[in-house]
Amino acid sequence: MSNNRPASPPLPEDPIDVKESHVVAEFKHDVALTTCRLDPQARFAFAGAEDFHVYRWAVDGGNESKTVFSGHDSWVRCLDFSPDGERLYTAGYDDKIGIWETAAAEPKPLKMFEAHKGWVRWVKVNRDGTRLASCGNDNLIKLWSLPDGKLIQEFKGHDRYPYAVVFHPDEQRLASFDLMGVIKEWDIASGKELRSFEAKFMWGFDQKFRADMGGARDMIFDEDGKTLIVAGLTNVTNAFAGVHNPMILMFDWEKFEPQHKLTDSSYKGMSWGVRVHPGGFITAVGAPQGGSKGALWFWKPGEEKPFHTVTLSHCGRGLDMTADGRRVAVAQFDGLLKIYQLTRKS
Amino acid sequence: MRRDTGCHRIDHTLSRRGFLAGSAAGSVAMGGLLTPAQAEELQSGQKRLLQMFLQGGFSQFETFDPKPGTKYGGPFRQIETSVPGVNICELLPHMAQRMHQLSIVRSINLRTNDHGKGRLFMEKGRNTGEFPYVGSVAAKYLAPPNPELPTYLHITTRGLTDNTNAFLEAQHAQMKLPGVKAPDNLSRPDKLTVEAAKRRAEFRRGLNERFAGGKGQRAFTETFDSSFEMAERLMSKKDLLEAEPSSKDLERYGSHPFARRCILARNLLNNGATVVKVTHHGYDTHAENFNFHLEQLGEFDKTFCMLLDDIREAGLLESTLVMVYSEFGRTPKINQRYGRDHWGASVSMAMGGAGIKPGVVVGATNKEGTEVSDREVDGGHLFHTYFEALGLDPKSDHDVPGKSIPIGDPAKSSIQELLA
Repeated sequence: MSNNRPASPPLPEDPIDVKESHVVAEFKHDVALTTCRLDPQARFAFAGAEDFHVYRWAVDGGNESKTVFSGHDSWVRCLDFSPDGERLYTAGYDDKIGIWETAAAEPKPLKMFEAHKGWVRWVKVNRDGTRLASCGNDNLIKLWSLPDGKLIQEFKGHDRYPYAVVFHPDEQRLASFDLMGVIKEWDIASGKELRSFEAKFMWGFDQKFRADMGGARDMIFDEDGKTLIVAGLTNVTNAFAGVHNPMILMFDWEKFEPQHKLTDSSYKGMSWGVRVHPGGFITAVGAPQGGSKGALWFWKPGEEKPFHTVTLSHCGRGLDMTADGRRVAVAQFDGLLKIYQLTRKS
Repeated sequence: MRRDTGCHRIDHTLSRRGFLAGSAAGSVAMGGLLTPAQAEELQSGQKRLLQMFLQGGFSQFETFDPKPGTKYGGPFRQIETSVPGVNICELLPHMAQRMHQLSIVRSINLRTNDHGKGRLFMEKGRNTGEFPYVGSVAAKYLAPPNPELPTYLHITTRGLTDNTNAFLEAQHAQMKLPGVKAPDNLSRPDKLTVEAAKRRAEFRRGLNERFAGGKGQRAFTETFDSSFEMAERLMSKKDLLEAEPSSKDLERYGSHPFARRCILARNLLNNGATVVKVTHHGYDTHAENFNFHLEQLGEFDKTFCMLLDDIREAGLLESTLVMVYSEFGRTPKINQRYGRDHWGASVSMAMGGAGIKPGVVVGATNKEGTEVSDREVDGGHLFHTYFEALGLDPKSDHDVPGKSIPIGDPAKSSIQELLA
């Protein structure tokens, strides 16, 4: 993850061993969750839900620490933070972006503004917290200044819905990914498209139902910006029943071509979240098809199969990780938000 | 989901009858423009039926019965319509502007979650037994004596194994059109002269008459005759079936295949078709229900409304019953794949035009949309309503050889609130 990575609270210095992963905190909501994040200071765990609200729990505060962030009129499926963790940014399917005080006792939006005509699918803050990138169902990528939320630049070129947009670590470029598997590189200063690649293996046209299925469900750059990592799907055979395989694409940003395609053929469904562990491996969560169990995968790039998989009680719909890679947060369909520690139990 | 892979015998029969001689092509109204004489003729009392079938089961939440902010409401908002107090899903902004021309039923309980059974109930008005579809019944009783087009045309890209006419005569079965093109092998082969084709047709008719007269097998020969007659009618309208839409039409309707099918539907109605059904595929959204409804209804809404506008502007809406329906709805519960599954317990549809009181909402579901809370109806009630709206008595009987069969289910009755 390139920026805004949450710090981890002081922990015993046990070595990372994902096979010893265990739950250290569990929060319960009565509605399915849509995404999750840990704030950069790792004080709080946040989740969107299928009820128009965003929820905050203190990581060490138990379920009773739940606090509601109300202000959107639709689902929120993407969250991000200012680098200092003091501000929370929310992407709403009500066409709006929300700006909030992360630690507010009684949260109210500091600003809520219409950002796209159609769902805001993604928000991402840059390294110094002065810019926010978003994408939405008007097929546009937009760049906003912070904290005023003023529009700086529009990026036109996607023919279908862009699902995610992120800053390249050099802060000069953006990367975006759309429904059809099209990856675009944009020059932030000019607003011009620099390069485009069709990752058609992350898209499928369902001949029977006459519809397209694809898009990024999570997307990040690695620390040095050499690899774009995208969570999504591949091998679409029945889009309307969700019959496809989860995929993590590792895309060589310099060569602008696929580097690794990580799939686990024992699962069908979708990958909804991905992070790069400081130890060099990939962590991802996935959604099942044909069963209720989800998965938390650990991959070494280039290997055919994950070297470890934690079975989830239900579909994992969001993932985040602390800066030291000792903890991950997983949001689930059944309303559970779990914090896993990737070391042996102390 | 059961996959329908076959198609009706009439369609096969038609495809094999390309050798038939064609009659001289009649004048056709392309591009939606009717001559005054054509418009007068069309408005002279003939009733028509336009069915917009959204195959797979559209979500009532994402269309006509939105429940935003409730447990199962999903991410979409509701919008106001041209009828004060009536809100529908934001995915239908064009329909919302025309709601004063349409009415909604929100309280259909089909008691089945099966594609085939749901479709049959919605089409036949009965949940069991061999009965004709709405389209076949309308074709039988509404079509003029010598129609220039097959009376029940279904524009669809997928084969559905529907015996739509049941015990009614074969000429009332649906004829499928595979899009904006004529059925395969419709043209008379070049080597077959018009004269030779006529002689063949006369020879065939003679044999049929002898066969029917000898052993009382009239039903068989009628079936074959009707196939030939349908083919002849279609051959004379081949240009209509294959007409390239005008740039103005494409701008209004859209340029996607469904838009072109709706333009064809309009042209067929303008040229005297009695029943036209257009199927829009892609609503069986077990995964990504919201993304798919965004896509599918984004395509459907404006295109259908352009068709509705053209029918109204041609003066045909008062004589054309318009249905927007599906085989069932979708579950309140949103599954792990952001999908909604099959749901027949609280289904919605829209209708308008001939005999329908506009701007009415019939029935309601409870707060979370899990069950009908007011004025429960089913496919039987709807079936009665369609035909009363079209000026027919659904409580009367089909007169088939040897017996009388009630047109509508005798245990059901029409939804009076919907009738003008």
